[in-house]
Amino acid sequence: MNVARVVIVVTVGLVLQMALARYSVGGRWVFDLVLVAVVYAALAWGPIAGMWAGTLGGLVQDSLSGDVVGIGGLAKTVAGVSAGVAGTQFIVSSGAARVATVAAVTVGHRLLVVALLAIVDQRWSDVDWLAMLVETGLNGLAGLIAFQASVLLPGAVRSTRELRRSSLSKRRW
Amino acid sequence: MDSFRRTFVFFIVLSFLHVLLISAQVQSRSGMPVIKAAAFGVFASIQHLTSGIADLGQSFWANYIALRGVAAENDQLKKRVLALEGITQAQAAIVSQTNELEDLLRLQQSLVVPTLAARVIAGDPAPGADIITIDRGSADGVEPDMAVIGHNGVIGRVFNRPTAHAAQVQLLKGRLAAAAAVTEQSLAAGIVQGGAGDPPLEMNFVDVLRDVEVGERVYTSGLDGIYPRGFLIGTVQRAVKGSGFYSDLRLLPAVDFRRLDVVLVVLVKRQP
Repeated sequence: MNVARVVIVVTVGLVLQMALARYSVGGRWVFDLVLVAVVYAALAWGPIAGMWAGTLGGLVQDSLSGDVVGIGGLAKTVAGVSAGVAGTQFIVSSGAARVATVAAVTVGHRLLVVALLAIVDQRWSDVDWLAMLVETGLNGLAGLIAFQASVLLPGAVRSTRELRRSSLSKRRW
Repeated sequence: MDSFRRTFVFFIVLSFLHVLLISAQVQSRSGMPVIKAAAFGVFASIQHLTSGIADLGQSFWANYIALRGVAAENDQLKKRVLALEGITQAQAAIVSQTNELEDLLRLQQSLVVPTLAARVIAGDPAPGADIITIDRGSADGVEPDMAVIGHNGVIGRVFNRPTAHAAQVQLLKGRLAAAAAVTEQSLAAGIVQGGAGDPPLEMNFVDVLRDVEVGERVYTSGLDGIYPRGFLIGTVQRAVKGSGFYSDLRLLPAVDFRRLDVVLVVLVKRQP
């Protein structure tokens, strides 16, 4: 596990979350890009990376959201470990399998958060199933984009570099 | 197998620490102000940057590319301005008459509260948090617990300590938000709370003997010391039977929380 990579992935997820959520405040377009970053770290670098990514991302989100610090941290830690263990036990190399993992983790994470809030508040709040469905879909889509980008981008950068090198070598100085 | 055991032990330890952290706050109800302030301080500057980049893109699109229909819109706006000028003059006449009556009756004149316009630069850090970040902070005179309003009504309040150029606003529709309120005609007092589902606002502890009508407007009563009296919160959508001598009302918010771009911070400090 590379700590710097985990921190970068979580930070990117958090910055994108806050920048894009500005356009969907109070609406039904719910998404959690930090959770997507946690699942990405878990599937890419294993359960321990997922666990630390979940702890870090969840605690920072809790600190910024004004709620009890630790609820999101615990939920995302569980989500990160679950995704990491799923990545080691099942073959999740295809795009569809990764999207399914993100979707399953999203549903589990949301239910866990609702349960933890019910314990803390001592009252059961309504679950917005439609919002959960939208969140699952959008997180899955974001996960697909993230995984495809991580596969395609290094290849694109390498081929661009090679193209530049070959054009330089043809020159006569 | 060794790796699995190590992961499992790590997981148990971390989960236990999280539970301890949560328990400490639930007992003290004080939150983690230092951690929250530090996290917000770090991310506020990043939010300014990302918001600036997004606004630049939006501005380029709106001012140079998407200009179709601007002339027609301009004509419509001119007509609208004319109509509004008429309404403003009529309102000014009413205000003048009211002031004269207040003078005659020696009533305390209603004060116009000072406000500060602010732009929304970031949304929910976590889904369902119902928090926005604005680009005004302590350097502009923004302080914790100042009310934030829109052109239609109450939006929320400033919470946590603002940084120099950014502050977080807790939306009234949020799970942990509340405001003291009163209905317009029946004068039923109560507490408006967020997180009620659909519609998102609920007015609790309303005297069951008060005859509240559906469609009646609900305003801030000023009793909480945060929201000054007289700001519109929403309209009554339906009444729900509460417990004992109280009934609960479901309110449709006056503000469309999905369209928050510019807000006004009411520069009045919290009344003790």
